[in-house]
Amino acid sequence: MFLIFKRLWQVNWAEQWQYRANLLMYLLYWLVSPIIYLAVWTSIANANGDVKGFTANDFVTYYMVLLICDQVTSNIIIHTFAYKIQDGSLSGELIKPIHPMLTNALVNNVAFKVLTMIGLTPIWVILFFLFQPDFSGVTFINILIAIPPMLFAFLIGFLFSASITALAFWTTRIYSIHEFYFALILLFSGQFVPLTLMPKVIQDIAQYLPFQLMLYYPIQLILGKLSQAQIIQGYVMTGIWLSVSILLFNWVWREGVKRYSAVGA
Amino acid sequence: MTPTIKVNQLSKTYQVPEREGGFGAAVRGFFNRKYKDVKAVQQVDFKIEQGEVVGFLGPNGAGKTTTLKMLSGLLHPTSGTADVLGFTPWELKTEYLRSMTLVMGQRNRLSWDIPAADSFLLNQAIYRIPDDEYKETYKELDELLELEPLMKKPVRNLSLGERMKCEIAVGLLHRPKVLFLDEPTIGLDITGQARIREFLQEYNKRTGATIILTSHYMADVTALCERIIIIHHGQLKYDGGINDLSKKIAPFKLIGVLMENADEHDLSKYGEVVENMEDADKKFIQVKADEVTRITSRLLADLPIRDITIADPPIEDVIEQAFNA
Amino acid sequence: MHILKLLSAFLKVNIQMSLAYRADTVVNILLNLMWLAWELLSLNIIFSNTQTLGGWGLGELIALLGVFRLINTMMIAFIWPNTEKFNQSIRDGSMDYTILQPANSMFLVTFSRITVWRFWDLILAVVLIVIGINMSGDSINALQILTFILLALSGMVVIYSLWIVLIALTFWFTKFDNNVTILQALLDAGRYPATVYPVWLRIIVTFIIPIAVATTIPLQALRGELGLNQVLIFLFVGIASFVIATQVWKTGLKRYSGASS
Repeated sequence: MFLIFKRLWQVNWAEQWQYRANLLMYLLYWLVSPIIYLAVWTSIANANGDVKGFTANDFVTYYMVLLICDQVTSNIIIHTFAYKIQDGSLSGELIKPIHPMLTNALVNNVAFKVLTMIGLTPIWVILFFLFQPDFSGVTFINILIAIPPMLFAFLIGFLFSASITALAFWTTRIYSIHEFYFALILLFSGQFVPLTLMPKVIQDIAQYLPFQLMLYYPIQLILGKLSQAQIIQGYVMTGIWLSVSILLFNWVWREGVKRYSAVGA
Repeated sequence: MTPTIKVNQLSKTYQVPEREGGFGAAVRGFFNRKYKDVKAVQQVDFKIEQGEVVGFLGPNGAGKTTTLKMLSGLLHPTSGTADVLGFTPWELKTEYLRSMTLVMGQRNRLSWDIPAADSFLLNQAIYRIPDDEYKETYKELDELLELEPLMKKPVRNLSLGERMKCEIAVGLLHRPKVLFLDEPTIGLDITGQARIREFLQEYNKRTGATIILTSHYMADVTALCERIIIIHHGQLKYDGGINDLSKKIAPFKLIGVLMENADEHDLSKYGEVVENMEDADKKFIQVKADEVTRITSRLLADLPIRDITIADPPIEDVIEQAFNA
Repeated sequence: MHILKLLSAFLKVNIQMSLAYRADTVVNILLNLMWLAWELLSLNIIFSNTQTLGGWGLGELIALLGVFRLINTMMIAFIWPNTEKFNQSIRDGSMDYTILQPANSMFLVTFSRITVWRFWDLILAVVLIVIGINMSGDSINALQILTFILLALSGMVVIYSLWIVLIALTFWFTKFDNNVTILQALLDAGRYPATVYPVWLRIIVTFIIPIAVATTIPLQALRGELGLNQVLIFLFVGIASFVIATQVWKTGLKRYSGASS
């Protein structure tokens, strides 16, 4: 098993390395909106002294950490996999004795992440000097505690996106569905603004959804803004949503493959 | 009368960057790139009169397509001149573009997602074809190619042969005086090839258009062209009638035989054994055309033959043999 | 007018295409409305926490959203589909046909794909601009409206020219085919007034990828914040960038046909 993953890693790393120019473009594209939100909110905080207790520095640190968390927890599975279902090239992978999504596609995503992380590092350092954030609230322990839920949040996100991708077995409109899913993330994850600044309704709903586990929860955890009870609650939610996402993906995938082979594509 | 196409010392040299593998080489190449000259076409001369149908022959990479691209105006030559209908093609004058067409068998002009009819109308607008002239031309093309049943379906639902008919037709809507056809029958089955061939013949007869075509299929060329230009390694090797060509290159045929225990029999005493054919079950020998009957009957008499075929050798092989020797 | 005939021919073809994908069109319109709702919600969130943003009020930001959506519509209705077609035509060689057609190749490359249904977005954009201006309570005279329209057009021309340059680069660097992403990426910066950005970001969105020239600046003209000199300069920038783009395109085509190098 270990050997399989090692080989998969070699292949997928080489593949992603081929596309490094595209990757850099993707990185720039992805960077812009957090930086804009950062600029907008620090400008507001500077004009008003603070925003519901958030100072300009709070916003800078929030979005700087967000850049890292988003990089860890997001995935690109729909762009690298959906077409295989649509054009039928999945058939070749289905007859191999390994799960096409949970091995090859997963490793491919991880290779992509490692490469973008390498690209992000110098940019992050430049931003650090441009904004001069004060990270004194961050402790080593907090970072350590945040790592497991972040990795699990990546898995949760990956399994949800993989489930949406697997809808390609039924419909051609998965990109539209994914766009809708993306809007949910924007609304409930804390990507636009720290959740406490969102309307009360959204905060209340967000609490129970998996999206805040991908950004808001780990960011606040790293920044040392959570109480012990909140940290434990986050761990529990992560466990629940991880189980849900595993069950959901398994079910969608099994039914999808059944349908795929029935149609004989 | 001045010829329709006049080509004088036409040459094209590509500069191809020399790349070594590895990251270091890539960085060095970025600053100090080395180029290698590839002489695609070298000092080619010919004249073509109005109404002629000329076949360009030569193996892959011989310079046929490069020459065709220069004549249509897509490529600038490195040196030399060309004159088509009184224009220098690569100046891309509108009047020139409206009086010629280039059809490439491997490239699509029609949009995949919409019926061909709509692409036709778009081309009518682009080529500024008046309505009545468009209708007339379309009617004529429809008569020859039976387009009507194909026009309403999205192009992606057409078969390759049907699509090729539409591709050729859309290239002819503006009644070009000169047609450049690059592999117009590639990938088509035998009937499809024959239909396109018949059409081109008829079109040439009716309109007096000048046609230059390249093809892999000897049959295309023998059926259509009275004159042949052979380009090999970028140089003009032959320019003349097709009948003279047959005399110049001793004509060969390929005999393929399928037999029991094929490996036990030695075919080399009947003719030159040819290896590496697509049809792996059969064995092939190459013989002179006027000996085909004699050798075939000998083969049938001597050997346990289950099936026998007689065909033209691939055009590349013919030219390779004739000019490489 | 031959150009108009050509345009209408392209429109017809593209209407045909979108009719072939009717259901997708409906879904796309719904998604578009969803994003509009999100954009308005995000403005609401911002303004429930502050009175002004970079000196602008809620009404002005709604108007800015309208201007932003004008540009965004141009991106989605023209630039993206044609970029896709262009890259495809470079890859499969059908660019050769485009060059050999007796019409301006830049025109053909710009208009051969049009996402027709996006046009209703223009109405939406105008509605947003009108509502926003009304909310802001600014009084506006005819001259301000005229300069706004001129500068908005000039801003669109600037973005368009930049796009032409970006795709023309493909003639030199064949592997450079996702260059338009950078345009889309910075486009988002047009949602907010450039005055809120830190200096380095303001420089990027004003001079390098001049999104602000197409969004913030026309709106400033509408509010009467620009002097005649500034208006003339930005109009000149629009014309100059178009001229430059045309030249780059021509040089690129020559390069493609091996006339230069």
